[in-house]
Formats: sequence, structure tokens, C-alpha cells
Amino acid sequence: MDCPVCKNAMVVLELRGVEIDHCFGCGGIWLDAGELDLLIDDVEKSAKLLDSFTIDTKCTEAKRKCPICAKKMLKVVVGKDGHQLLIDSCKKKHGLWFDAGELEDILKRAKLDSDSKIQTLLADMFAENPQLSETGNNQNQ
Amino acid sequence: MWELIRANKRNSIILMTLMAMVLLLLGFLIGLFIFGPEGGFFGLVIATVIWLILTLISFSSGDQIFLAASGAKPVTKDVNPQLFNVVEEMTIAAGMGKMPKIYIIADPAPNAFATGRKPETSSIAVTAGLLGRLNRDELQGVIAHEMSHIINRDILFVTMAGVMLGTIVLLSQIFLRGMFYSSMGSRRRYSSGGKGGGQAAILFLIIAIIAAILAPIMAQLLYFALSRRREYLADAGGARLTRYPEGLASALEKIANDPSPQLAAANKASAPMYIVNPFKKKGQMKLSDLTSTHPPISERIRILRNMTHGASFKDYSDAYTSTTKHKTIVPVSSFTKEQVAIRQASEKAKSQELKSKQMRQVGDIMRVVNGFVFLSCVCGLKLKIPPNFKASTVKCPRCKRTLEVPKQ
Amino acid sequence: MLAGAATIFLVVLIAIIAVLVLLIFAVIGIYNALVRLRNQVDNAWSQIDVQLKRRHDLIPNLIETAKGYMHHERETFEAITNARAAAMGASNVADAAKAEGALGGALSKFLLVVENYPDLKANQNFLSLQEELTSTENKISFSRQNYNDQVLFFNNKIQMFPSNIIAGMFGFGKRDFFEIENAAEREVPKVSFN
Repeated sequence: MDCPVCKNAMVVLELRGVEIDHCFGCGGIWLDAGELDLLIDDVEKSAKLLDSFTIDTKCTEAKRKCPICAKKMLKVVVGKDGHQLLIDSCKKKHGLWFDAGELEDILKRAKLDSDSKIQTLLADMFAENPQLSETGNNQNQ
Repeated sequence: MWELIRANKRNSIILMTLMAMVLLLLGFLIGLFIFGPEGGFFGLVIATVIWLILTLISFSSGDQIFLAASGAKPVTKDVNPQLFNVVEEMTIAAGMGKMPKIYIIADPAPNAFATGRKPETSSIAVTAGLLGRLNRDELQGVIAHEMSHIINRDILFVTMAGVMLGTIVLLSQIFLRGMFYSSMGSRRRYSSGGKGGGQAAILFLIIAIIAAILAPIMAQLLYFALSRRREYLADAGGARLTRYPEGLASALEKIANDPSPQLAAANKASAPMYIVNPFKKKGQMKLSDLTSTHPPISERIRILRNMTHGASFKDYSDAYTSTTKHKTIVPVSSFTKEQVAIRQASEKAKSQELKSKQMRQVGDIMRVVNGFVFLSCVCGLKLKIPPNFKASTVKCPRCKRTLEVPKQ
Repeated sequence: MLAGAATIFLVVLIAIIAVLVLLIFAVIGIYNALVRLRNQVDNAWSQIDVQLKRRHDLIPNLIETAKGYMHHERETFEAITNARAAAMGASNVADAAKAEGALGGALSKFLLVVENYPDLKANQNFLSLQEELTSTENKISFSRQNYNDQVLFFNNKIQMFPSNIIAGMFGFGKRDFFEIENAAEREVPKVSFN
């Protein structure tokens, strides 16, 4: 699959049985609807989650194209007042796209799903994790 | 088994002779029209030559073309040991000397087909979606069905009949188009001849047009009859090979109820090769029996589930009769007095967790087939790198280690 | 008159020769068919042999992998090892069938016990060995099934007219079915992946 922003080939990352697609070029993340099902572990809940986002029609940010169906994705607002965040969601519910800059916001504030499973996963994959990187540095030296 | 193959050959030869007659008659009538009263024989020769050429092409490389067109990739045992083992088991059960080659199609819609004219050069292809959804018994049922196609020489017959159908369609298309354009361009040519000749020409014209319209329809009906019959026989053979009709029945059920979009690589010509019709239509089950290459799946499942007494051809035939109220589809000569007991299920139902794990494995199989490189970082993160990834190193986003991407 | 008698004689002679030639061809045809069937029976038998050997080869690996996880199952392991030794040492078909039946029984018992060891079932190496074992058990039963089919076919042929005459002339004898003693062993052992 190619990155909707910079068209580079995305690498699949798997952690604890869930996969995401990550672009090493721009740092963007694609979360496939099927993976969302696996992560949330309840098909109904994850379908509801995709429906719960409010579509932002006023947004002027450039539209991204869904890497699966190549149709323009919708800008949707997630999170409650004050902690809002704009992400891209495929019209045909193929999945969600997070730009590199949005990642930090997600990890810090926005609440996407009720059990915060998305945040937990992304935090584990991408956040600075001193424990992991230190052992890594030791091994490299 | 051999009895069945022989009876099968006889039936197919009758159907194919009928098709050949349709083809020759069409050639004759077209020749009669184009070249006058003596031209019938000439048209016949031309029709035969076209048919021979197409047959030669499809025989020399037909299965390779078909495999390539469906995007099937050959796999070795380490990609999917279970699939490999199941094919080997069915090869043994069928008493075949050589194992068919195994291919996987990277497509999420569950389906399977077999190709190859002779058992020795045959291949079996399954989609990744099939591997992901079926348990061992169901997979065995599907492979046994395909294996039956191979030992019944179905691929040979379906290919030959398909080519004949193609020739008939081609001939009548060329003729009808030629008619259309020539009648638009130069009407005069036909009317300038003698008056009697003109009348004969008009008569021949009408007969030839009717033949050109009817021939493809006739041929298609014969073709459908042939391929449908063979689906039932392959189901019967599959049940007998595995001694477990429920495996195939529940596989068919899963395939029929699958929500994935239809198989991308299938086309009308290749449709009869698949275990279930790759073209999903709303209300397909209700479509007329005459116009489908496959019997309705629900009926196939019901027949298999009605085989409560045993797994022999006789048992299938009885189940067929009691389910459809038609007379037997299996040639009576193949009823040996064998007692074929049904065995028990070998596997319990899988939990949901295992199913998603299985789907993950299928995704990985599709990626291996498509040339992805798999890296495992020490921190536990797995990276699956596509073949068109350009950089030679990646930095693990989790623990920030630098990983080498091996060149293929 | 003489010429007429000669003609009749000639016709009869030709007819007799023709019948003889046809008969010879029929005998050759039936003989070849019998040889083909006998070869199929032999091939089917050697396939059973191959699969039984495969099972014998798999067992040490399987036990080695399982031992690390199953500390309290010495009896189960011993039963398998002994049954394997007996099966490998069997000298005739009847003994072999009996010993292989016992080995199959010991293995299916083992696979039931495995259910109590979730750690073992999560071991990738064990899982692939288990798939190999399942498949080998299937192959044994399918090759037996095919062998018995071929034997049935062959035996029918040498008992039926006219092939029974040729079978008698060239000494084609009936073959035995390969039956496994233990009735429970007629089914493929139940292997679960849960």
C-alpha cells in the first residue's frame, strides 16, 4: 500500500497481533478498519466508532485519498471540546489516517475509543520509551 | 473409480459430439451462403481449421495462461505446510502417482480451482481467503473436490468444450458482423446475380442468420450442462476421497456466505474451473438451472448433508435423488458394492481468537507470495517491508534501533 | 465340387485362425490389465509403508519437544516409544498391522494429554510437528483406504469371468485387505488445535 501523502511504499508494523501501516517518509499512520476490529475486539463497537466521528465540512486542509479505494477521505473531528483533533476517515469505512503531527496530540489528549486501545497501541509503537531504547543503545554499543 | 471415469468420458463425448455437430452445421450453412450451393463443404473445412488451431493453442499452454491470468503464485511447503500436507493426503487417497503443483492467489475471496490436462501435469490453486476461513477438514474437502476434477479428466473436457464454444461464438460473430457491414456497403452485389440465384441466396441468408443466432445459444446450453454435471461428480468424488461429506459441505457454506467482493481475476471463460461460481449475483440461487456453469450451492450442500449412510458414489447418488427428485447423476456402472463409512470430524470448532490469528497468517501468506520481507526487531515489533520499499535500512519506531533491510 | 469343398475348408480355416488371433489378443489384454491392477496394489502397499516409516521418524522429535513441557507423563512417552519399537520390529503384515494399530492408539492418547499443557500448544516447533503428525496419520489412513480399494478391484477382477481363467493360468492370487485390529483406530485420530 502506498502512503496517501508522499506516495512511498508503507511498511506494515505488527505488535501483539495488530497491524498498522506506517510511512517512513512522512511518519503518517494508516489504521485499517479490519485491524480496528481486531484491536477493539468487537465488530459492532468498532463500526460505531467509525460512525461516531463528526464530519468537518469547513476544513480547508488538503484532502487525502484513501490508500485502499483511492477516493477522497473525509476530515472528521474526534474527541470532546477542548481536546479536539482532525483526522482523515475513508468514506467507505476502509480505515483511518493520522498525519505525523497528529500523533502527539492523539497520545496526549484525544480520546478516540472508549477503552483507549488505539492510544495504548500507538503509544507503545511510537512514543519515546526510555526503557526500550536504552537497552537498545547498550546493545548497539 | 476407473469405471466412473469411463462413464464420464462417454457422457462428455456425447455432449461434445453434439457441440461439434452444431459447429460443423454452422460452418456448413455459412459456407453455403458465402460461396454458393457448392460452398457448404468449404465452410465446414474452415470451421474445423479454426477449431483445430484454437484447440492446439489452448492445449499447448492453456493452463499456464490461465494460472498467469489468475495471478496465482507457486508455493513451497514452508509457506503453508497444512495446505501442502492436505494436497499430499488427497494425492494418496486418489492413488495418483504425482502430486499436483500448488499455487496461491493473493485474493481475499475464498475460492479454488484445478488446471492441467493430465493428472501428471495438473495444478491446484487456492486463494488466500480460502486458507484463512476454512479449517483443516473443510480445506481437505475442497482439495478433494479439485482432485476429483483432476482424476475425472474434467479439465480436459471443460477446456475442449470451452474452446469449441469459443469457436462457435467466434464464427457466428464474424458472420453476423460481416453480414451487417456488407449489406450496408454493397447491396448490389447480391442482387446483380441471376434471379433464381438471388432467391436461393436469400433463403440461404435467412437459414445462415438463424443458425448463427441459435448455434451459440445451443452450444452454451450444452457447455453448461457438461460443466454442471461435472461439479456434482466432483462433489461425489470429494466426499468419497475424504470419507467426510460434511467437510466439503461446510466449506461450500462458508464460501457461499462470505461477504468478500467477487474474485478479481475470474472471467466468464474461466468461471467453470472454480469450485464455486466466482460471479456473485444477487439471487444467483434462483437463476435458471440452464444458464449457470455451477449447480446452486445450497443444493450441493443439501445433497452432501443428506449422505448419512456412507460416502460412496452410491450414497451420493441416493442423496442426490432424495434431494432433487431427479434421477441419478452418477453413472450406475460406478456402483461397486463397496461399503464406505463416514469418518468423524477431526477438529473442534475454532475460537474467535484463533480465527483472527488465522486471518493474520493469511495476510502474511499473501505478503510472502507478493515478495514482502519480514523483519523482527528485538523489542518485539514485527516489520513487514514491501518489495518496492527503497531504503536499505529502517529505524524501528518502537525502540529506535536501526535494522538492515535484506536485499532479495 | 472339389473346388467348392476346398473353398469351404479355406473359409473355416480362416475363421478358426481369426477366432484364435482374437482370443490371443483378448488374453494379452486381460493379462495386461491384471498386471496393471497388481502393480497398483503393490504401489498402494508401498505408499502405506512410506507413511508408516514417516510416523516412526517423527516420533523421537515429537517426544523430545514435548518432554521439556510435560514432566509428569513418563508413562505416555514410554507407551509410545515401546509401541514404536514393536511396530518397527514387526516381521509380517499381520504383526505390523497390530503394532501400528497400537502405536496409533498411543499417539491419539498422547494428543489428548497435550490438551492439558497450554504452553506446549503455544510452542511453534511443536505446532508444526503436530501438523506433520496429523497429516501423517491422515496419510496412513488414506493410503490404507486406497490400498483396500485397489485390492477390492483386483480381487473382483481375478474372481470374475473371463479374467479368472487368465488369473488362474498365470498364478495371480488374491490379496489381503489391510485391516487394523483396534476398531477405534479405523477413524483418523482426533487432533485438535485448540
